[in-house]
Amino acid sequence: MSLELKDLGITDGTDMILEGITYTFEPGRVYVLMGRTLSGKTSLMRTIAGLLDFTDGDMYFNGEDFDVLPTWKRSTSMVYQQFINYPNRTVLGNVLFPLLRSGLSKAEAKAKALEMIDKVGLSSFADRKPGQLSGGQQQRVAIARALIRNSNILLLDEPLMNLDYKLREQLREDFRELFTTSKDSVTIYATTEPAEALLVGDELLVMHEGRIIQSGVPAEVFENPNSVTVAQIVNEPPMSVLTAEISNGTFSIGHRMKSQIPAHLVGLPDGDYQAGFRASELTIGSEGDMKEEGEVDVAEVAGSETLIYLNTPTGYTIVQEEGIHQYISGDKLGITIPPERAFLFDLSGNLVVAPGN
Amino acid sequence: MGINFYKRLFLLPGLLLLIAIIIFPLLFSIRVSFSSWNVSRSGLDFVGGANWARMWSDADFWGAMLRLLNFGVVTTSIQYILGFMLAHYVWQGIKSGRLFRLIWLVPLMTTPSIMAIVWRSIFREDIGAANGLLKSVGLSTIGWSTEIVPAMFTIYVAEIWQWTPFMFLFLLAGLLILPKEPFLAAEIDGSSPTRTFWRITLPLMAPISIGAILIRLIESSKIFDSIFVLTSAGPGNATETPTYFLWKRSLTEFQIAYGATLALTYLIVMIIVLTIVAKVLTYISRPRGW
Amino acid sequence: MSRIFKYAFVIFWTLFVLAPLSWALVTSFKTPAAVNQGATFIPWVQFDPTLDGWKDILGISGYANLIPNMINSMIITFFASLISVTLGGLAAYGLSRFRYGWKYYGNSDIIFFFIAQRILPPVVLAIPFFLLLKNLRLLDTHLGLILVLTSGLMPIVVWLMVDFFNQIPREIDEMAMLEGCNPLQAFRRAILPLSKPGIAISAIFAVIFGWNDLFFALVLTFTEVKTLPAAVVALNGTVTPFWTLAASAIFSILPLIGFVFVVERYLAKGGFSGAVR
Repeated sequence: MSLELKDLGITDGTDMILEGITYTFEPGRVYVLMGRTLSGKTSLMRTIAGLLDFTDGDMYFNGEDFDVLPTWKRSTSMVYQQFINYPNRTVLGNVLFPLLRSGLSKAEAKAKALEMIDKVGLSSFADRKPGQLSGGQQQRVAIARALIRNSNILLLDEPLMNLDYKLREQLREDFRELFTTSKDSVTIYATTEPAEALLVGDELLVMHEGRIIQSGVPAEVFENPNSVTVAQIVNEPPMSVLTAEISNGTFSIGHRMKSQIPAHLVGLPDGDYQAGFRASELTIGSEGDMKEEGEVDVAEVAGSETLIYLNTPTGYTIVQEEGIHQYISGDKLGITIPPERAFLFDLSGNLVVAPGN
Repeated sequence: MGINFYKRLFLLPGLLLLIAIIIFPLLFSIRVSFSSWNVSRSGLDFVGGANWARMWSDADFWGAMLRLLNFGVVTTSIQYILGFMLAHYVWQGIKSGRLFRLIWLVPLMTTPSIMAIVWRSIFREDIGAANGLLKSVGLSTIGWSTEIVPAMFTIYVAEIWQWTPFMFLFLLAGLLILPKEPFLAAEIDGSSPTRTFWRITLPLMAPISIGAILIRLIESSKIFDSIFVLTSAGPGNATETPTYFLWKRSLTEFQIAYGATLALTYLIVMIIVLTIVAKVLTYISRPRGW
Repeated sequence: MSRIFKYAFVIFWTLFVLAPLSWALVTSFKTPAAVNQGATFIPWVQFDPTLDGWKDILGISGYANLIPNMINSMIITFFASLISVTLGGLAAYGLSRFRYGWKYYGNSDIIFFFIAQRILPPVVLAIPFFLLLKNLRLLDTHLGLILVLTSGLMPIVVWLMVDFFNQIPREIDEMAMLEGCNPLQAFRRAILPLSKPGIAISAIFAVIFGWNDLFFALVLTFTEVKTLPAAVVALNGTVTPFWTLAASAIFSILPLIGFVFVVERYLAKGGFSGAVR
């Protein structure tokens, strides 16, 4: 029951929407698509659902040509970013809708729907209309609708995107469990959030400009992003990428900060590189060999952390600091760069060495 | 059955029925316009472009076309302005808004040809209400159907009475679905009501305004009932529009061939003019910076 | 100042709207003498009201009976509107959701083709329609007039409904298709229940334009199937007295005025916006 894409592509005039997508999705696994807006995640999902026609390549499901099946015969479920439900039906009516053509008797369908409504935690809202529910509850209805049919393919397009932070955390926790009910399905989950990808994903596919540019076990991709682009996409906030140089036994950043060559970079040829640092591994304060003075551009609080965007002589730098701090644009701050945590890329952006765990 | 089957299933029944109904009249008109079918001889002979040449130099026809500027454009503009005022008042909220709204919609429900008869009884010079009112306040009476300006006025009144509600209804519906945010922002910025109207309301209403204006231009250019009943294109031919002119040529003088030529010309001119008007209106109302 | 102007205008307009109708209503109760001695406005004070005008048109005095004409009008308007709303609504949904094309022509050209049907005045189409119906043996029949009216009403429905469907998120029908509905089922089960206001609006306009058609009725029907406007205008053509005409005018617009009271809530409450929120 696997879904096979072979060199799939969509060209619209001169625009390449998808290009050379070759991948096999296996049932019972959760595939996470990561990529920026317009990277092709939604287009790929819509193509799989049959809502978008592809122009090149082939698509097979269970070994059979999938392209000949119209959307309504594909057994595909989808959860949208926006909370899309049938506004004129109750929660129960919404969850029943996918079962209408399933051949179940009315009573069976109703029992099944109520069970699913219970599972997503909405049992006391079964008679409400979606308009009377909060955003999170509406999205739970949409998820219940998507799960109830045990579709062969389950597509979730940034389902938590429009929810607030707390709800997102909470629903994210529920997902792993909910997805186990669909263990015969290919589940594809698009997100921009690394935390979600790590939590729900068995496989991670990184998309950029209509192509899959890296795939693998999520943790593996996080530790070894094969290019600067991947590193930027899978890290939120993005990595700070600074110019680096190895010469004569020293490692320097921005041609000014110098240190000994850290262990993971020993043995590399002399030359110019790019060094990427995760925001969480840069620290505020001036210690160690590599320190830099920067000027705060913006600072924002995200949950229990503070993100600080700084202009430094070496480049634009993003630091994530534990706890809630207040900075004003223009504040001067010292930051410390840990050379042993550098992701080293060559000048064309390909990974040379990752720091490992 | 794939998506293409359903795609056709939605559009084709309606489209094909329409084509089936309209194709014969259209092809027939084209063919007839190259014949000499008239009251004394009916039949589809072929006289080349004779009718088209006659049309080209028929000053009366083009005079009637020009008169459309008067009847189509002016009445549509007045209807738009009045309709917008009324819709804007209801939208902002007036006392007993619902009652007013109901009353203002009534003219839309009345039959134009029958209302024309009522208007004629009002503008009858001897025993009509208009002159009766003028007399009762000591003014001199007006020759509503014998003088050019009053004759036009009666037609304007009938048209504006009949169709302003149409504009009102469309524009009100448009106002009711406008997004709230720009108005809140304007309020916070302390924008004056006049400024808010010109800078926010009117531009946001542009698409629905263009739609309503175009459909009214199409409809009011066909003006016939009120002219037929009220002035019979008079005095002289001061209120003769293309539709009336066409009616006279083809249905009273039975110049079938020439009438068809005029009809096709009217169709072509209208399509060109409406396309241009649509483009111009879209251009004028294009989004601009503040 | 602007408040005063606003209410002055509102009152002026309301009086203007009511004036001709009141005049017709008052006149319909006048005696010949009351009409001919000049304009009078107030019953009982300026003249003694009678029901003669009304008796003339309701077949009581034997002069004319407009009731069969009204039934004709109802039948024709109902079916022409029904066909227009059904087929026009389906076409509008298709035009809103799918891309159609033939060479350089696309959806907007198809929509323009529909609207273009309204450009030609009925006067122009009367003769070809006459010949067409004559050959089909449909002259002076309900069906003939229904078909001809449909060609004028469907464009209005399409024009209104395309816009309306565009405002319903297309994710809703996509979702229905994903959940196993073919597009027709998706339309019926997911979209139609949300489209009631839009359907109401276009049905209302179809009814108004259908009911008020005079010209086609005048040319394409004679004795068997005469519609109300045609019958009233025919009365006008003969030497029918003023009070009778006024009564017939009021009589012919009553059904639609009743109709507007029923449908007014659909017309106003942002009927175009859809019931999505």
